[in-house]
Amino acid sequence: MSGPGVPWYLAISAILFSIGVAGVLLRRSPLIVLLSLEIMLNSANLAFVGFSRLFGEMDGQVFALAVMAVAASEVCVGLGLIVAMARRNLALDVDLFTELRG
Amino acid sequence: MTFGSWVCLVAPLAGFLAITLAGTRITRSQAGWISTGSVFVGFAGAVVAFLDAWGRDAEQRVELTTAWTWLKAGEFQVGLELLIDPLSLVMMLVVTGVGGLIILYSNGYMAGDDEERRYFAYMSFFVFSMLLLVQGGNLLLLLVGWGLVGLASYLLIGFHHERPSAVAAAKKAFVINAIGDAIMALGFFLAIAHVGSLDFGAVFGAAESGELSDTVVTLLALGLLGGAVAKSAQIPFHTWLPDAMEGPTPVSALIHAATMVTAGVYLICRTHLVFEAAPDVQHIAAILGLATLLAAGVIALVQWDIKRVIAYSTMSQIGYMFVGAGVGAYGFAMFHLVTHAFFKALLFLAAGIVIHHLQGEQDMRRMGGLRTSMPFTHLTFLVGTLALVGIPPLAGFWSKDAILSSALDQGGALGWILFVGGLLGALLTGMYSLRLYFAVFHGAEYAGRHEGVEAPHVEEHGEGPRSMTVPVGVLAAGSAVAGLLQIPGVWHPFENWLEHTVEPLVHASVGEEWLTSALAVSLGVLGSLLAWRAFTAGRELVPEGAIRRTLEHKLWFDEIYDAAFARPAQAAAVGLRDRFETPVVQGGLDEVAEGTLRGASATSAVQSGLLRTYALAITISVAVLALIFLVVR
Amino acid sequence: MQADEGRLSAVGNVLVWAVWIVAAGACLGTGLRVVTASNPFSSALSLIGNLASLAVLYLLASGEFVAAAQVLVYAGAVMVMFLFVIAYLGGRADAPWAGGTRLIQTASVITAVSLLSVTFVALMLNAGGRLSDEADVTRAFGSPAEMGGLFLTDHLLAFEITSIVLLVAAVGGVVLGMRSEAEALADGDQGLQQTVARPSEDAA
Repeated sequence: MSGPGVPWYLAISAILFSIGVAGVLLRRSPLIVLLSLEIMLNSANLAFVGFSRLFGEMDGQVFALAVMAVAASEVCVGLGLIVAMARRNLALDVDLFTELRG
Repeated sequence: MTFGSWVCLVAPLAGFLAITLAGTRITRSQAGWISTGSVFVGFAGAVVAFLDAWGRDAEQRVELTTAWTWLKAGEFQVGLELLIDPLSLVMMLVVTGVGGLIILYSNGYMAGDDEERRYFAYMSFFVFSMLLLVQGGNLLLLLVGWGLVGLASYLLIGFHHERPSAVAAAKKAFVINAIGDAIMALGFFLAIAHVGSLDFGAVFGAAESGELSDTVVTLLALGLLGGAVAKSAQIPFHTWLPDAMEGPTPVSALIHAATMVTAGVYLICRTHLVFEAAPDVQHIAAILGLATLLAAGVIALVQWDIKRVIAYSTMSQIGYMFVGAGVGAYGFAMFHLVTHAFFKALLFLAAGIVIHHLQGEQDMRRMGGLRTSMPFTHLTFLVGTLALVGIPPLAGFWSKDAILSSALDQGGALGWILFVGGLLGALLTGMYSLRLYFAVFHGAEYAGRHEGVEAPHVEEHGEGPRSMTVPVGVLAAGSAVAGLLQIPGVWHPFENWLEHTVEPLVHASVGEEWLTSALAVSLGVLGSLLAWRAFTAGRELVPEGAIRRTLEHKLWFDEIYDAAFARPAQAAAVGLRDRFETPVVQGGLDEVAEGTLRGASATSAVQSGLLRTYALAITISVAVLALIFLVVR
Repeated sequence: MQADEGRLSAVGNVLVWAVWIVAAGACLGTGLRVVTASNPFSSALSLIGNLASLAVLYLLASGEFVAAAQVLVYAGAVMVMFLFVIAYLGGRADAPWAGGTRLIQTASVITAVSLLSVTFVALMLNAGGRLSDEADVTRAFGSPAEMGGLFLTDHLLAFEITSIVLLVAAVGGVVLGMRSEAEALADGDQGLQQTVARPSEDAA
């Protein structure tokens, strides 16, 4: 393979993943949290594609496609939730939704 | 014989079950008739078995029938078996016959009580348990019957459970019986350990043949004696019997006069081979019997409650039976048991008629002059009293004197002490019985009764319903003639009947017997005259003073037991509760519970509801797990 | 550019490297921007950029179909949805940085960093040597034909279940978006009944 080898792809994937994690944990707006989630999912996709290239099997790419489909569905539902929240005039702040408290 | 015996055993059980299961679907009087009928059916069965046995030779009158193997633990096994022999037949007839009459009487006596069904169920249950006791073919079944009659006694003494005194009396009876049962059970454990079985044949054979060491046999005999003493209310386990009078009068008649309290005598006769192998224990039995005989006799001199007097009389007469068994005159002890069943039950039932008539009055001082208003009761009571004192030709004369002559025949120091003590007892019997009779039936009408409380006139109500008077009449007849089963020197059907089963150790000569009788009767008559003298003079037989006070306190037994056992036990219990249970056990549990709660609330603080915190926790966990996988591979 | 599969000329190699570095840099840069921007619109746009650079990376790793799907589905559909919602929310979507305790913030940063380090260490320690021998692949690798073949044979179940998941998501989206009659009237719109009834009135 020309260009950087698979480890480089994996490195990018790892860094992207931690960026996504930081975003999920640090931001308060659900919208930004969703976007960070997307970044995490994409980083996983990148790892899949990288490994698929490493082993020469296409199963990794197949799975990457499935992940994409699932990510799309999850975004759909997530955005639906956000819109519903907005419609009820709730502030879009994850720290305010504490009904799961024990 | 087998068939009759099984019918005898099962009929009362069927009655009990029928009444219990029917509950309120049957009327109260129907329950009474079911109970009475079931016991009389049992009596019929006993008669059938008896007739069958009578037709056989003496050697063939024993049958051991097994229903199935009940218990099996390695080598040790116990079957559900009945032993039918002349001894158990005697008991069966007495229990079902007298029991049937008493239950018949109860139909009238307990009429109107709200809980009649419960009463009759318990009575049938008691008859069944007693039959199990006497028919049991091995020591374990005997013990089962033993325990069940104790239970029945508890239930029936505490029948009027709304009365705290009745409840306390029932508990007292049960506890003291339980002490005896425990002692007996310890003896049985010994038997299992050394003999390997609880079958009569095995245990008695081992005792007789000298297989068991002296210590073991003595301990076994002591165990049996302990149980017998508690059940039969002999000193030192006698304190429960007077209190047991809290139960209804028919209960006192059946359980605490005719049958249950005589179970101890039956036990000694049944296990006489063990006692004969440990003669010291047998002598102890006789001495305890003598002690009880005298003690109860003197205490009865100062009692005011009709039923208490009769109760102490029972205790005293059973003392006679123990004396008889203690010297080896088993046949005579059983004979006295039979006659005693008749006249003691008669006395209780007649007293019951009096109490019923006077609407619950039991204090002798408030009775009097009932001779004219209750002629039938008066006559029957007199018959019973004279039988008790031992006036010929009534039953008590024949049986009591047989025992005394056996004691005389025994000889030696023990024999003489028993003989003299027994004669003294006859004197006392005369005194307290006639004292009771005169106080109730002679003198001014209702002397000392409260003003304004009138007894119902006899002309309107009669002395009592037929169901009450008929049994009393039958028992009176029995008290009169039952003694004629054994006329020394003339014919001995009773003695012969039992001879093969329980060979007596002593055989009084005819001369001894007639001498004894003469002495006993004269003393009895002397006692009666003393009582009459005291009554007509209007004074008490025992004058006021320290002696009287001791007797009134029943020789301080209750107080001694209270101080020696009850108070320390209670103090220990309270101390343990305060020192150990509350701080340590309860506190420990409380601490655990509180700790759990505290832990829970601390843990629940983690669930703050903040989504980000949860996400953070998940992420940290993932990182940690990754680290672990990294290290561990 | 390629003389034959697997072997590039020196110039080709350098070109590939250059493209790769640019794409990777864009990827990381836009990623950071997504997480740090206060304006949600900027975040969304940065994410689009992120997706695009990822598509380039996929291409360089011989995942042509995936790259295409990435652009079409992710950048094309999902991000459009995002943008619609952000536009609908308008001002309410603003996402300032304030809030969260110090503790959570520091903990989050530390966690992210440690995750990263652990991943690196894990990869390097465990698999360092083996990650360098890539398999030789044919030109057909990453093509739609191969992908389709796998979807319809080895991974048929995944394929079917994915379709169900999408269906469920669609239903969920509709349900979440529904308004009750009362809410609709409160908003000033006519209820469904009225809307349906109208054409007949029109006709009349």
